[in-house]
Amino acid sequence: MSDSIISIQHLAKNFGSFQAVRDVNIQVNRGDVYGFLGPNGAGKSTTMRCMLSLIKPDAGDISLFGLPLASNRTQILRRVGSLIEKPDFYKFLSAYRNLDLFSRISGAPSTKKEIYQMLEFVGLEGREKDQVGGFSHGMRQRLGIAQTLLHNPDLIVLDEPTTGLDPQGIIDMRNLILRLKNEQQKTIVFSSHNLSEVEIICNRMVIIHQGKSVVEGNVKELLNEEDQIIRIQTQEDAITKGMAIVEKYPNAHVKKIGSDTIEVTLQKELIPEVNRQLIEAGVPIFSIESKRKLEDYFINLLAS
Amino acid sequence: MIFFHSTRNELIKIALKPRSYLGLAAITGLVGIILFALMADGMSMISFVTASFEQTLRFEGKVLNGNLVAFIILQMLIVHIPLLVALVTGDLISGEAAMGTLRMLMTKPITRTQLLMSKFLAGGIYTFLIVLWLGFMAVGIGRFLFGPGDLMVLNSDGLVILQEGDIIWRYMGAFCVAFLALLTISSLSICLSCFSDNSIGPIVSTMAIILLFTIIGTLDVPVFDTIRPLLFTTHMAAWRSFFEDPIPWQQIKESIGILVAHNVLFIGVSVLTFHRKDITV
Repeated sequence: MSDSIISIQHLAKNFGSFQAVRDVNIQVNRGDVYGFLGPNGAGKSTTMRCMLSLIKPDAGDISLFGLPLASNRTQILRRVGSLIEKPDFYKFLSAYRNLDLFSRISGAPSTKKEIYQMLEFVGLEGREKDQVGGFSHGMRQRLGIAQTLLHNPDLIVLDEPTTGLDPQGIIDMRNLILRLKNEQQKTIVFSSHNLSEVEIICNRMVIIHQGKSVVEGNVKELLNEEDQIIRIQTQEDAITKGMAIVEKYPNAHVKKIGSDTIEVTLQKELIPEVNRQLIEAGVPIFSIESKRKLEDYFINLLAS
Repeated sequence: MIFFHSTRNELIKIALKPRSYLGLAAITGLVGIILFALMADGMSMISFVTASFEQTLRFEGKVLNGNLVAFIILQMLIVHIPLLVALVTGDLISGEAAMGTLRMLMTKPITRTQLLMSKFLAGGIYTFLIVLWLGFMAVGIGRFLFGPGDLMVLNSDGLVILQEGDIIWRYMGAFCVAFLALLTISSLSICLSCFSDNSIGPIVSTMAIILLFTIIGTLDVPVFDTIRPLLFTTHMAAWRSFFEDPIPWQQIKESIGILVAHNVLFIGVSVLTFHRKDITV
């Protein structure tokens, strides 16, 4: 069986004279948690919609599970669960009825028991018979996830699944994605504006900018995870001494980013040693925090 | 199997949507008002119509009976029913687009043609129920309240009197043709619904087209003579032909042909349009 779950080559889509997508190339493999990154209007949603045949591309090839999408749409979509943009449901119907309707056209209709179990899984137990019109955004998002997972798809596509969620909801969603990957070996593709989220969850990613995939690949390789950026907070009068100590380490880059804070780039395994040296030299350490690198990477890439 | 499930889904959505009951409620209310008016003052209205014949004809028996009441109701309401049909069917695609549920539906392994055809079928079933309800209210309740009797119909050729035993099958035929005419409205509104992402546009557009075609059909201008017989609105009153004597079968067949052709045209345009539609909302 092929390990390629999604393969997109030279995708292009115009809306009138506007080029929404110019040249997007993507390769998602089995078991990947794959992040879509890009500023607003970059073409992430259009690419996802093309991937689900909501939008017909003007050019390019899209294959899912090794099959061309154009000629195998229904066969492919049986194995895909997706939530594109916000979760929209029939507001005049109950949560149970909504899931029942979508389940019946998913190719594998679910039983009442399965639907109730899924609603319990996403934390909507007791709300099965309530009209969706009265649900909060977070509840609808959870119902959307239930709709996505109900027919046990191999590939899950989520477009900005944490948008509009409260902090607990974001953590729950992140944990859910990791559970789906680790416990059920699902392949997950999701877009997000939250760079740290992508850095934490994804093993592969693409950055789309102005309709083109500018970077695609393994997150660790792209971010050069051997090097780490840390921020060290100390006393104002000890900062010069601290910088001098850190600069002695090979390939270390140090810059002062505040009156009492320095930002250091150095090899990951040297961090405990640097910490020890600073303390031994009498430099008080108030905090050492690891800085997510994707943010810098993303900003530098788009700026260039 | 997915087509069956999709049609079932569409019927559930129609059945649970409050708007769907507006049509039934409107028919009930309007027929109730007409029945009340005819019970209160129906005879004076009939006398006004029959006065011109009283020098040559003598009317015996119950002229204001259930059959005449049903005919009057149909005459008065058949113009308004298209709006009630379009109110629901014009929303079937565009309403889903406006709600965002079309996006959710189209990520499922159902083909666009299957989804569209299930909507046409559900719209047709809804239209049939509307016609059935109109028939029950007009003929059933009308005959219950006013009793049976011969039907006196005034048309362009003069006065036609149909025997009581010769009427029910004519009503059945008339309702079948009326259903076909309303099915054309349903098809038109679903077709227009494929072009729009809001629910009001197709409903208003459907009524605008009916109005425009009706005006063209009634304007006695030679330039419209060639297109007039081809407009579906010209044949929407074909049900009335069942109350002529003898029945103009050829004319009815032509009307059925034109209405069926329009249905095929609207469905064909819908399939082509919907198949190429980008779901961007």
